[in-house]
Amino acid sequence: MSDIIWGTVTKIISTNSFEMNVSHQKDTNQDGYQDVEEINFTEIDIPSISVDENSRNVSQIEENLKDKFVKCEISGRNSENRLVCVVSHSGAGGY
Amino acid sequence: MWAPQTLFKPDSYDDLITGKIPALIVPEILSKTECSSLCSKISNIQTTNGNPKKFGTSLSSHIYEKSKYFSNAKRSNDSLKKLFAENISPLIAMRETISKIFQKQLTTAIENGTSYSDAVIRIHDNDDSVHLHRDNSNFEMGDYNVSNLKNQLSAILYLQSPEQGGELTIFHKMWNKEDECMREPDFGYSSTLIEDVHKTKILPIEGNMILLNPKFYHQIESVSGTKSRISIGFFFGESFKNYLFSWS
Repeated sequence: MSDIIWGTVTKIISTNSFEMNVSHQKDTNQDGYQDVEEINFTEIDIPSISVDENSRNVSQIEENLKDKFVKCEISGRNSENRLVCVVSHSGAGGY
Repeated sequence: MWAPQTLFKPDSYDDLITGKIPALIVPEILSKTECSSLCSKISNIQTTNGNPKKFGTSLSSHIYEKSKYFSNAKRSNDSLKKLFAENISPLIAMRETISKIFQKQLTTAIENGTSYSDAVIRIHDNDDSVHLHRDNSNFEMGDYNVSNLKNQLSAILYLQSPEQGGELTIFHKMWNKEDECMREPDFGYSSTLIEDVHKTKILPIEGNMILLNPKFYHQIESVSGTKSRISIGFFFGESFKNYLFSWS
């Protein structure tokens, strides 16, 4: 079972990475995570963000992800010390 | 004092939008007999369908599943029409009342020729409650055209009062973007957001309709007793002056 963290997206770094404030960590996580982490996403469940990285641009990702609450399923860290994750939207703030 | 207003005043709409009042209570838009007749039908359908606690399609369950939302909305709108066929329609009563008091036309929103979901009926049984949340399609539902509607409000009609509890508590605190760091992973927000915040409670009295600004944090208190709390609700917002569109 992979580690999971949740939090809000604070900054878009590139067409496949962003910075987030980590507000929740799964109780059974194997590792601990910083309050601020950089995420490299390999998959994302938001349809407005194209699967093909070449068809994305930063402002489009900003429009869809900035300030949003997301769930990150972690598979490891890359050479840039970013968490490699499958990202999805998490729950809802209301009905 | 920040308290719900029962009598409609000409500036009630603006007062709800600005948060000057937490809610507007419109009493007895349906009689107790009409509510009871509708609830019998709802209970019968519940029994034959495995006791679901929700009838109708909600946008928040389909934030990133747009085509599924519209196909489910079509199906649930047809089911609600059938459910109300031999009774007075609470939806029509709600729409007509809102149109009359605000002097604005109100219809269900349409996108690319397809109707949004008309309403959702929610059933809260003994010990059920709804955690602290706010409703804000402007922020959360960017893929849908209704996210562009201004001055969004929420309408709830109580069809059955529980024996005890089930009050709607509204806190005098409006959501802002910075609060997203206080989100709970599954639903809603941490209760620490509303510690020491002034609040008001509204009893779920059958036949009464409540209009509120859903960007104010709110929650439903725990229901107790064998009688369920049953309500029907939708959201509505302004497209251009005097035209309101609803969805759920």
